[in-house]
Amino acid sequence: MQHFKLIFSATFVAIKRDRLLHALAGASLLLFLLVPVISMFSMRQVQELAITLFLSSLSFTLLIFSILLGVFSIWKDIEKRYIISVLSMPIKRRDYLLGKFSAIALFLMFTVCLMGIIGYGTITFAAHQYQSEIPVSWPNIFTAMLMSGAKYILLAAVALLFSVISTSIFLPITGTIGIFLAGSATQGLYEYINSGSGAQDISLTGQYVIKALYYLLPNFSAFDYQVYAAYTLALPLDTIFYTVCYWLIYTSFLLFCASIIFEKKEFR
Amino acid sequence: MNIVEINALSKEYKVKKKRIRALDNLSLTIQKGEIFGFLGPNGAGKSTTIKILTDQIRATSGSATIFGIQSNKAEARRQIGYLPENPAFYDFMTAREYLSFTGKCFNMPESSLAERTNQVLATLDLLDAANRPLKGFSKGMTQRLGLAQALLHDPDLFIFDEPMSGLDPVGRAMVKKIIKDLKNKGKTVFFSTHITSDVEVVCDRVGILVKGRLVAIDSVEHIMATGIEGYIIQIRGQDNKTEEIKVSNSELNGVIARLLADNVKIERVNPVAHNLEDFFLDTIQAQVPTNESQ
Ligand SMILES: Nc1ncnc2c1ncn2[C@@H]1O[C@H](COP(=O)(O)OP(=O)(O)OP(=O)(O)O)[C@@H](O)[C@H]1O
Ligand SMILES: [Mg+2]
Repeated sequence: MQHFKLIFSATFVAIKRDRLLHALAGASLLLFLLVPVISMFSMRQVQELAITLFLSSLSFTLLIFSILLGVFSIWKDIEKRYIISVLSMPIKRRDYLLGKFSAIALFLMFTVCLMGIIGYGTITFAAHQYQSEIPVSWPNIFTAMLMSGAKYILLAAVALLFSVISTSIFLPITGTIGIFLAGSATQGLYEYINSGSGAQDISLTGQYVIKALYYLLPNFSAFDYQVYAAYTLALPLDTIFYTVCYWLIYTSFLLFCASIIFEKKEFR
Repeated sequence: MNIVEINALSKEYKVKKKRIRALDNLSLTIQKGEIFGFLGPNGAGKSTTIKILTDQIRATSGSATIFGIQSNKAEARRQIGYLPENPAFYDFMTAREYLSFTGKCFNMPESSLAERTNQVLATLDLLDAANRPLKGFSKGMTQRLGLAQALLHDPDLFIFDEPMSGLDPVGRAMVKKIIKDLKNKGKTVFFSTHITSDVEVVCDRVGILVKGRLVAIDSVEHIMATGIEGYIIQIRGQDNKTEEIKVSNSELNGVIARLLADNVKIERVNPVAHNLEDFFLDTIQAQVPTNESQ
């Protein structure tokens, strides 16, 4: 536990002092400040648009952070040979891996919270510009934000697994982006082939491939609650509960695989 | 108890489907309080051995224990102070922060950590740079920090992979002094090097590794003694001028007896010794034909 905490805090310090992340954080902050401005262009649905734009900006920021941190934080340690000095201390490799991951996860959630504060300001501001018939539902917005955080923590676990498997940086980056795109599309495709026209348009093998991908790949679209937030729809609590369970199991599974591979890895 | 015990260790690297045998059936034990020099030419397998001992890479066959614990267990590293070859440390930290990180990894109590950190920083002459980020450290400074983090938690075993590498003459002298001090404190030191003169000065025992095989292992004292080819006797002659007489090993006693009988004043007797470097070169040379005949 001591070692887990040490790696955790060292990683957090590394994130905090990373110049590239400072620049990106600055850029995304700008994005958030633009949200109320852009929302003005929509004459009627200022509030709905502000919420959607805000959640999309959050999603985009988390996407960049989760890929960067997931891919680079262990890869960089290996590439620059920091890992040799660290793992030659009595630290278990599993503690190292979990410490890294937890720091990334916490950082992503920290970003969610910080953006939440900014979002509260921008959405309130936008909502005052044009009175909507729908009241703003903060529980819905916060649920959407938290689910978004969970989604990108899962993506960071995918990236971490890739970075542990590969020695080059190419596979982790392309692999993670590929899985993200495919994992975001599978649910739509799955619903399409189960609909009448889809079943006719797509060949049988194609349908099997889509089904296999739907069950195998992480289903990222399950974490999208933007519509519930923007239009204050009643939250499907049981679906949320199952999604959280799915998230827990899938993330643990990825970390489990990563730690088995990491345990066998040689640092030459 | 053997502090380090290496049993029939072999390692093959696979590079593009070709196998490179870096270590071939290495067996070696190191006793408590011993300063052991691990000599060998470039590519001999010294770092490979050390990387297996610290669990960065895994042996193809064979095993090793440290304080009786299998070397691939994290607990085995609790009592090791390790300096990697060309070390690199988290460059976003300062030297002091890194040492604090190290100390905590070894469960050092917070109360003694700060004081001990200052001690090792002073020993390695890094106090001035203590609060600077490691990003700006030169190669030699990083090497010094590597030694500092190895000394910090005061373990019983030190494993240094080329401790003198990248250091200026002052630094080298400092490392030799550090190793001697460790010996006086009863610590065990296992270090690799290709600098024979360093081994001569600080080591009790030396092992020579050539192409992954241990081809010689002996005490430095014994090597130096067997390397004596003859003696130079310096005498003061009748006209008060100094003269030197060269004698072989077997002649020594006879010549001295004769000189004493003649009432000649003997000022000095110096052995003409092979040094360790010659022994090292001879040993490597001797290996070449056997390797080529394979
Ligand atoms: N990562 C690696 N991949 C492939 N071969 C390697 C690797 N590391 C070492 N080797 C090979 O293993 C052999 C032993 O290398 P090692 O680094 O142990 O030598 P060394 O004795 O430490 O040499 P030096 O004095 O130059 O540091 C060499 O033939 C080297 O080419
Ligand atoms: Mg080496």
